[in-house]
Amino acid sequence: MSKASESATARRSPFPPWLRKRVPTGGEARRVRALLAELRLETVCSGAHCPNLPECFARGTATFMVLGDTCTRSCRFCAVPDDPPGPPRDAEPEAVAEAAARLGLRHVVVTSVTRDDLPDGGARHFARTIRAVRARLPKAAVEVLVPDFEGREADVATVCDAGPDLFNHNVETVPRLYPAVRPQADYRRSLDVLACARRLADGRDRPRFTKSGLMVGLGETGDEVRAVLADLREAGCGIVTIGQYLAPSKAHVPVARFVEPGEFADWESEARAMGFAAVAAGPFVRSSYRADRVYGECTGGATA
Amino acid sequence: MAVEDVKLPDLGEDAGDMARVAFWYVDPGDDIESGDELLQMLTDKATFDVPSPVAGTIVELVADEDQEVLVGEVLCRIDTGD
Repeated sequence: MSKASESATARRSPFPPWLRKRVPTGGEARRVRALLAELRLETVCSGAHCPNLPECFARGTATFMVLGDTCTRSCRFCAVPDDPPGPPRDAEPEAVAEAAARLGLRHVVVTSVTRDDLPDGGARHFARTIRAVRARLPKAAVEVLVPDFEGREADVATVCDAGPDLFNHNVETVPRLYPAVRPQADYRRSLDVLACARRLADGRDRPRFTKSGLMVGLGETGDEVRAVLADLREAGCGIVTIGQYLAPSKAHVPVARFVEPGEFADWESEARAMGFAAVAAGPFVRSSYRADRVYGECTGGATA
Repeated sequence: MAVEDVKLPDLGEDAGDMARVAFWYVDPGDDIESGDELLQMLTDKATFDVPSPVAGTIVELVADEDQEVLVGEVLCRIDTGD
């Protein structure tokens, strides 16, 4: 790009130059969208306005979001609306399995909105979904990204008993910023959920790893991030993802800082040195961005 | 002369599938290859570069800078010469 257009871009765009994406032409995106519409499935990709969506859909991947498209919490970083949700759809677990099979997925990621209105927080629905996917795709890796079930160990156990390969629960930010960013959650509770899942894996072969993610650029300090990484290691967390927070609208928490790519690379080195089995860090990294590759790192590429 | 409409491809944004034109990289009369960047667009979460799906000569820039464009609407016209 010419110098003239570089400076014009700098004047016009609110984003730094490294937060630029290419819209892929061609690929599987149209097929993915049609399939999701046919099976009435939601994705967090679409619901949370993920900027990686065009790339991931073009690759024929997506992260399914079950239990509706509205949430019982109002986290200040998230685009998913907080309207009252409806009853879980009975046919949804099978629909997810069907979609995963038709997409030929080898790594299936399922997340949900938070359902504090359900007695089990949606844990049984997750378990049914994991089992439905396993039945259709016995060789696929199954990763779940779950809410905190308000810390209820029985519900964490319900999900783990269904045998997901990866149990992911995001801490999202540093403890000091919870009131501003994630007011209805609790940092210690989220760590306990991860520790619980890790404990439940003892003596069994699944979940193989626990995983967590955080956003930077919300006003946290480097030492605060370091402390979260240490806490995650202590909770037995094996995989961490770190990405740039982007505000879905002016009503959400504003971006405090655009973290440079070099700094993400430093976090990656530091996290690896702390003993995480796999680390993904970069401006556009999200908890399930290229989840198959991140998992492949832990297993030495020995995934199905 | 075969003129092709280049439309805003699927960005996947849930909020109305709309993006705003930030800046055109090309002008009418420019010769381009398939894959060359045509323009930069803005959504709430990123800037997107839109590459050309075809090779040819830019005939007309249909969407103006700062204009909001819906997925499927025409961005520019390219003479592919066939």
